[in-house]
Amino acid sequence: MIAVATSDLASLLMQVAQVQPVPASSLTPAGWTPAWAFWILSALVVVGAISTIAQRSLISAVMSLVATFFGLAGLYATLSAHFLAAIQVLVYAGAIMVLFVFVIMVLNRDEVERVSDRGLLDKAIGAGALVYLAVRLGEVIASPVGPVSRMSKPAPEFGTVAKIGEYFFTEFLFPFEAISILLIIAVIGAVVVARTVVSRPTTGYEVPNAAGRAGEGGDDHADGDAHGAHGGH
Amino acid sequence: MQLLVQNLLSVGLHHYLILAVVLFGIGTFGVFMRRNALTTLMSIELILNGGNLTLLAFARSHQDMRGQALALLVIAVAAAEAAIGLAIVVGVFRNRHNTNIDELNLLRY
Amino acid sequence: MTENFPLYLIILLPLLGAALNLLFGRRFGNTFVSLVACSAVAGAALVATKAVLLVASELPARGALVDQLVSGDWIVAGDFKLQAGLMLDRLSSVMVMVITWIALLIHIYATGYMEHEPDFARFFGYLNLFTGAMLILVLGDSLPVTFVGWEGVGLASYLLIGFWYHEDKNATAGRKAFIVNRIGDFGFLLGICLLFTVVGTVKYADFGSIAGRLMTPWWMGWPAGYWIAILLFVGCCGKSAQIPLYVWLPDAMAGPTPVSALIHAATMVTAGVYVVARCHTIFDTFPEAAKMTVAGVGALTALFAATIGIVQRDFKKVLAYSTVSQLGFMFVGVGTGAYTAGVFHLMTHAFFKAGLFLGAGSVMHAMGGEGDIVKMGGLGKHMPVTRWTFFIYCLAIAGIVPFAGFFSKDAILAGAFAAEFRMSTQMTGAQAHLVALYPKLLWGMLATAALCTAFYMWRLYFVVFTGKFRGTEEQEHHLHESPLSMTLPLVLLAVGSVLAGLIGVPAVMTHGLPESLEHVLTFFTGWLSPAMVPASPEPHEHWLEWALMGGALTISLVGIGLAAALYRGGISQTAENLKDKLGFVHKLLWNKYYIDELYDFLLVRPLRRVSVVLWKVVDNIFIDGGLTKVGPFFVDVFGAVAQRFQNGDVQRYIIAVMVGTAGILFGSTYWLAYQGIQGEVKVERRTVTLKLGDARMRPGQLIYAIDWDGDGKFDDTNVRFNSELKHEYGSAGQYKIVVEARDPVWNMVKRSDDWFFGASTPLSAKVE
Repeated sequence: MIAVATSDLASLLMQVAQVQPVPASSLTPAGWTPAWAFWILSALVVVGAISTIAQRSLISAVMSLVATFFGLAGLYATLSAHFLAAIQVLVYAGAIMVLFVFVIMVLNRDEVERVSDRGLLDKAIGAGALVYLAVRLGEVIASPVGPVSRMSKPAPEFGTVAKIGEYFFTEFLFPFEAISILLIIAVIGAVVVARTVVSRPTTGYEVPNAAGRAGEGGDDHADGDAHGAHGGH
Repeated sequence: MQLLVQNLLSVGLHHYLILAVVLFGIGTFGVFMRRNALTTLMSIELILNGGNLTLLAFARSHQDMRGQALALLVIAVAAAEAAIGLAIVVGVFRNRHNTNIDELNLLRY
Repeated sequence: MTENFPLYLIILLPLLGAALNLLFGRRFGNTFVSLVACSAVAGAALVATKAVLLVASELPARGALVDQLVSGDWIVAGDFKLQAGLMLDRLSSVMVMVITWIALLIHIYATGYMEHEPDFARFFGYLNLFTGAMLILVLGDSLPVTFVGWEGVGLASYLLIGFWYHEDKNATAGRKAFIVNRIGDFGFLLGICLLFTVVGTVKYADFGSIAGRLMTPWWMGWPAGYWIAILLFVGCCGKSAQIPLYVWLPDAMAGPTPVSALIHAATMVTAGVYVVARCHTIFDTFPEAAKMTVAGVGALTALFAATIGIVQRDFKKVLAYSTVSQLGFMFVGVGTGAYTAGVFHLMTHAFFKAGLFLGAGSVMHAMGGEGDIVKMGGLGKHMPVTRWTFFIYCLAIAGIVPFAGFFSKDAILAGAFAAEFRMSTQMTGAQAHLVALYPKLLWGMLATAALCTAFYMWRLYFVVFTGKFRGTEEQEHHLHESPLSMTLPLVLLAVGSVLAGLIGVPAVMTHGLPESLEHVLTFFTGWLSPAMVPASPEPHEHWLEWALMGGALTISLVGIGLAAALYRGGISQTAENLKDKLGFVHKLLWNKYYIDELYDFLLVRPLRRVSVVLWKVVDNIFIDGGLTKVGPFFVDVFGAVAQRFQNGDVQRYIIAVMVGTAGILFGSTYWLAYQGIQGEVKVERRTVTLKLGDARMRPGQLIYAIDWDGDGKFDDTNVRFNSELKHEYGSAGQYKIVVEARDPVWNMVKRSDDWFFGASTPLSAKVE
């Protein structure tokens, strides 16, 4: 049964391909990439993305995201952005995702409830707006006045490290330096935000009752103030 | 039918752009539906990659390497964002023992 | 003839000193502060001396050194453009030399006088600030720049009078000085504005050619020049303490003594005299009623203040009234056209009056702050330097030959006696007589004032320095000569008081002397006139000049003699008897003619009452009760609504962003098609004209499909937008028309019979 269906589909596709040869001068442009590569990779990306936001288990979500990023890396490669594809794998699928996994391991909690039932109406409205936005954008992209795809073959050096490096040392010098500062700030900021303050035990944001508060370590601070005030007098 | 087949077999700028829109939409949907802060961060990564895809597609279409350079900068910003975002999640978790963003609503009137 | 010179340095140095001392002085200690303050002023003095030497040696009589204060235009308002520059000519040279060098001496003096003051840095900061502002005043090349300095010295004066603000009395005195000066400054500013309106220039360099324009009739039959002069003179009255705005100066003695010496005796208060001399073209406007006013006010003030000075008991108060009186002398000088004499007296007065104040400071320093002369006496034994320098100053101010005061005061008296005011030619005989008599009257008043001056100064000297000490035992034990930093300026000023007059000896005394000596002795007259100011009026006959001189000297000697008779060796019984006998006069003078009380009754109290009404009624009821509630009400309402949106739910924020973005996209793409289906129908027999869209649309921007008969099928499709579409109906009847518009760019389709934002007026045609 399956074999029949498969062979039918294959023959159908072959028929379609034979009957409808794609004219070079038609409305839609001739392809940049092997179409099968695009469709497989984009399927991977879309499924991975949906899986990312749908999984209950965080680890599964991260793994879906890694798959998505690999698919995107492939898509970048089809766009002659080979260096970017490599960076995508290294930075995203490698570094950032490992960071995510670390944090998930540290927190070690799976989500009990994916979507809270609060504000469901808001979310429905948001989803509607989002769908409208996506459809509208798709329409515009697909319409005859949408962006024009130029079909010329890229130059041999297009997408090479050398060319990107050239841009970073000429036209993009300032953003490049700014990004390096941003990364340093991010590193330091992450350390500052996430470090454990040993001397002051954590307390909840819940306002504790007065009796409970007196015994808590958080009052060290208040004691210090009181001493300071005495010193002043 | 002819149009469909043509679009199936010949992939150009439009396909990449629509894929980017889809990616962006899924990411945004994740941001406002899911309550876990980590999932939210992952969704933001999806949004950023949707943007990156458009940059690269246009770069390819216009034969302009600046789009790729810009995409690299976006990746760097995304890395910084992930680092800070995760640090905040860890810090919040340490204080509140959960990471549900719909409960992190102290910053209001 | 002008030449560039970095004059800004003269101003910058004291201002830098002020900034350093005020910002950092407290941290670095007194040595640093005094070093900074004194070296700043010393630097300014050296640069100024260099500049003045240049003026004297290199430039012609009317020449000036110029510099920019603000590069480019300073004030721009429409067509009105004003540059701010600096100018040093012969007139400002006199002022600059007096200011910088006397300021330097007083700075040095103050390092000793203020040594125990905790707020040392603030004091010197203010003092430097004053010096800088005063130099702007005299170096400004136009009235507005001078006005900047004018206000600057007013501020510094206010700050220094209220320097010991912990005592309410001092702060009140500072406020009084400030407010009274504001009245004058308002007049001054109006004068500048009127001058600009009438003449179109406010630069001193242009004043040589404005006399004609000043004659423009302005108001009440008087020329514009008269009103400008009067308005400027109101400002001068405020700053230079003339009637009726003199009341602040005696109270200003609440400030530290070096301040009284520098600001309220030697420099700032003479600014009015400087301005009158500087603007002499305006004051000389025919008819010379403005000059008569100036001279009259000056003479009245001189006499008035001198009489008050006779009975005062406070050391500094006596000197304050003496200052007011001497300023009156200067105004008579410039008012009678004897500009040289007025400025000369300004200069000599700066020496001896600064010295007198510093002497007073030295005495009060020794007395532990005591200022009542009745509690002093016999101090000469304990403080010889102060005593003998004070002796010289008293000789100078009393006008004893050959000390400084003699020559300058004599020049003013001679000028007043010989002055002729040019008034209208159509005066009646009696009026002409009065005008001719007026200078003699001025002379008489000044002579009386000079008598009083000699009397009260020597009364002061005898009461303080001779006789027996009348204070407490403790005070007597404490008496001591002041340190070198205080005595040195006293000695130098004394030298100045002896010598300063010798450069302005009247020509009649120098006849027959060697030419080089004669040149030195009459130097000052030639320095200013005729290049800077018109020559002073002089008596025509030599004997008259000699007689006037002799008369002035006699008057002074009589004053000194009287003082000696009554007060030598302490306050004599005769003096006490005299005081009892003339009780009424004494009381009147002691209470300063009750002027303060009069002002209080006429001005201060009514103002206070009005203020209370404004406060209780307008402020409390209208503003606090109503007006201030309106704004908060709207803020409250808006805030109550707006705060709902900031609920801390981040997810809702991003939903809002999405909805907003979708709304913008929808609105922007929907708008064109929506506009395209709005239309109106015109029926003409069987022909229907359909007008669609609005005037801004271009042909072909929309593509229509039109159903003319409402049967659900489009009759015409692919119709490009045009301003009018026509259709011919085959038969009569009521037809419903449906239009579908497609926007090819945004791929947006809109039908006119949509339930959702369709055509606002349904399209239909009734055909007969």
